[in-house]
Amino acid sequence: MGRIIGQRLLSLVFVIFSITFLTFIVGYLAPGDPIQIMLGVRRDPTTYNNLRHQYGLDQPWYVQYLNYVNGLVHLDLGKSYRYQNKSVNEILASGLPVSLLLGGTALLLSLLLGIPAGIFSALRPNSWLDRANLFLMLTLFSIPSFVLIPILRALNYFVLYQNGLPSLPAAGWGQPAHWVLPVVVLTAATLGYIARLTRSSMLEVLGEDYIRTAKGKGLKPRRIIYVHALRNALLPVITVIGPSLAFLVTGSFVVENLFAIPGVGYLAVQSIGQRDYPVIQGTTVLLASMIVLMNLLTDIAYTLLDPRIRAA
Amino acid sequence: MRRSFPVLGSLFLLGFLLMACATPPGTQLVPQTVVVPQTVAVQQTVVVPQTVVVRETAQPAATPPPAPVGNQVLIWSVDGVNELPGLDPANPQNAQSVLAINLIFGGLVKLDGQLNVVPDGAESWTTSQDGKTYTFKIRPGLKFADGTPVTAQTFADSINRALQPATASYGAAFQLQHVVGARDVADGKATAASGIKVVDDQTLQITTDDTVPYFLAQLTYPVTFAVPLHLIQAQGDKWTDKAFGTGPYRVKEWVHNQKLVLEPNPNYWAGQPSVSEIQLPFIQDSETAYQLYRTGGLDIMGSQQNPVPSARVPEVNSSPDFHQVAAFAVRFIGFNNKKAPFDNLNVRRAFAMSVDKVTLAERVLNGAAGPTDRILPPGFPGSQYPIKGLSFDPQAAKDELAKAGYGADNPFPQVTLTYGVEGDNERVATFLQQQWNDNLGVRVNLQPLELGTFSENLNTTFLTPENGLQFYLSIWGADYPDPQNFVTLQLLSNSPNNNGHWENPEFDALGKQADTFTGSAEERFKLYNQAEQLAVDGVGWLPLFVPRFSVLIKPYVSGVVPTGQYLVIPDFTALRGRPQP
Repeated sequence: MGRIIGQRLLSLVFVIFSITFLTFIVGYLAPGDPIQIMLGVRRDPTTYNNLRHQYGLDQPWYVQYLNYVNGLVHLDLGKSYRYQNKSVNEILASGLPVSLLLGGTALLLSLLLGIPAGIFSALRPNSWLDRANLFLMLTLFSIPSFVLIPILRALNYFVLYQNGLPSLPAAGWGQPAHWVLPVVVLTAATLGYIARLTRSSMLEVLGEDYIRTAKGKGLKPRRIIYVHALRNALLPVITVIGPSLAFLVTGSFVVENLFAIPGVGYLAVQSIGQRDYPVIQGTTVLLASMIVLMNLLTDIAYTLLDPRIRAA
Repeated sequence: MRRSFPVLGSLFLLGFLLMACATPPGTQLVPQTVVVPQTVAVQQTVVVPQTVVVRETAQPAATPPPAPVGNQVLIWSVDGVNELPGLDPANPQNAQSVLAINLIFGGLVKLDGQLNVVPDGAESWTTSQDGKTYTFKIRPGLKFADGTPVTAQTFADSINRALQPATASYGAAFQLQHVVGARDVADGKATAASGIKVVDDQTLQITTDDTVPYFLAQLTYPVTFAVPLHLIQAQGDKWTDKAFGTGPYRVKEWVHNQKLVLEPNPNYWAGQPSVSEIQLPFIQDSETAYQLYRTGGLDIMGSQQNPVPSARVPEVNSSPDFHQVAAFAVRFIGFNNKKAPFDNLNVRRAFAMSVDKVTLAERVLNGAAGPTDRILPPGFPGSQYPIKGLSFDPQAAKDELAKAGYGADNPFPQVTLTYGVEGDNERVATFLQQQWNDNLGVRVNLQPLELGTFSENLNTTFLTPENGLQFYLSIWGADYPDPQNFVTLQLLSNSPNNNGHWENPEFDALGKQADTFTGSAEERFKLYNQAEQLAVDGVGWLPLFVPRFSVLIKPYVSGVVPTGQYLVIPDFTALRGRPQP
């Protein structure tokens, strides 16, 4: 076990360096000089050269890259070109907790609702209840957030606000009420996915021989389902938890943007338009590390749950 | 020419504050909103709402108006960003920063609602005979929000700091290029510009290298604003988290990536601001701002750069909250004059005369723009003198193309129009493509580029025209209210902003004469007018339209005036926000 973790952590280092190199090279070769973008038409050679020097952009690309790697080793992701006197560390540190909180809540809710919904369907396969449930879950899974958000907002405005009922804030961050709409939107997709995954995996497990044996032994159905079947049926669900969290955190830029939430996903997108390379690289490294780490955690959880993997 | 509207450093023209300050007891100021229709040269009438302050003499026994109730809040969304790039006046990076900077800091002079340069930190000034030396009298008793006195030395130090390389300002060296010695400071060869002299505590002298009639207007841009150097020394890079200056407000709290909260500057020279708290939430998406506005979360939304979403305009344009203003900006087509086929005047004229701008503005853009045939936007200083534009005339356009030697035996080559992907550009470019096809029989390819890439391509066009774009859709917005900012800054043959390298010796001669003219503003504007006419005839630009932008202001808010550049607060003591329980 320790060896596996060690190997994975080592590969994490390798993955991160490959990613920094790729983002660096792509950024270096992409059209759009960050300083020139800031200056626009105010072409002032003195200012241009001064700023290039300040940000170390006047050095050859390999020196720039080595400087970046050197910073990375010291956990310093560099300084934003765009936000005055702000380090990428600070920027990510302020956005990450917000995104984690939001993504974590959404994931927790999807699990709490999605797993029971999946079991509910699996126990009455092809009944009208199963079909209705499947349809609902498929809808939730398929509806893009930029469609769901205006629908929720319209409901909030026309049904609640205009009738003088207590309504939810349309956007913002800081109070518990600000959570509701974004969490609902983020939960919807993951919930649909987890419910469908639980259903199919549960159905598969319920057809296994050992379930038949358990039934034959005369065990109570409740015990069969929750002790014997569920434990194995959840394996695929556990596989997706890690990556889901990573994506909920870093990939929720639409939700963060539309609800004006100061998270990390949106920062990444905005920094691309502004050629704020240190921020782009910082968020990419963060996302990559999260995915690798989450996959590692998934594997560990897997070995704990499935003795066959441990043996192998 | 990416969208740089940095600034008409203007704003918040507290112009009238002055008046309020000088008001003797027994006189009452009554703000009224009047609508002043102005006919401008662009065959269109723009309605400019302006707040004027009417003096009324009350009964002798009456006391001055009571200090306004302090318990009011104004929530004003800063649209289009999820964080301010900074609050350092030395480095105002975008219009959103400038909005906040102008609430917190002040300079020597500022602009009033009519775009006149009026006193701010300097109570008066004189200009030398040769027009190159400005002597400012600093307002006696001027203080920073923390009570520290502000003297001529403070201003000199602030300006020098903005220029020093360590400050890493994007705009200072450019904006102050005419100050004697500024270049040396920017190059790191000196720490103080030789042209900035502190005569005594109350007297500051600034010398320019040439006669620069628009110099005072340039001083309204934040880079010359007074900054609290003692705070910067004590707090280092993080000083802006608690920033204050000589403006009406100071930072109470900057919740990064969320909002800026301001409280009144107790030492503001023009009197205690009436609204006790201004909140500036950062909202990237205009639709989100609209949703917040209509559920009572905002008092003001929209700006020139990020107006009310056009899809929402029909549902709000009849409400009292709705205001629409023509921007001090012009969207235009620029041509690469160093490369065939647009090095040919007749070709450029043919393209200019084959575009139906009225249909473009009214149908394609649903009235969110006004058609224009000239370089200065309507209402801008100098635009009072008319220009004869190249009007829409498909037949004349075809004749021009024939004159250029193109016809059945020599078909016009395929050309590519490049534009940055933002706002309505896609629709505009498609319409233009159609127009040139229908009216001129010319096939135009469209090349949409992401904004940063577009900007890079413009730069290439400027530096190496032979490798540059053929023609491009661009926009220019005012930095300061002087025709120089549009006419000569854009089109003088040696201007760093002349991306397309349009050249006309006669234009250059007139333009340079106007740029250094020491006589009356009227005479100078007439020189610009002649130059502008040459630029229009020679198609230095193909001006398309002046964007109109929409903002929403709750009816209980008063004292905020939408202008072509920004929302302006002429008098902070007369501002009213949302009443607090």
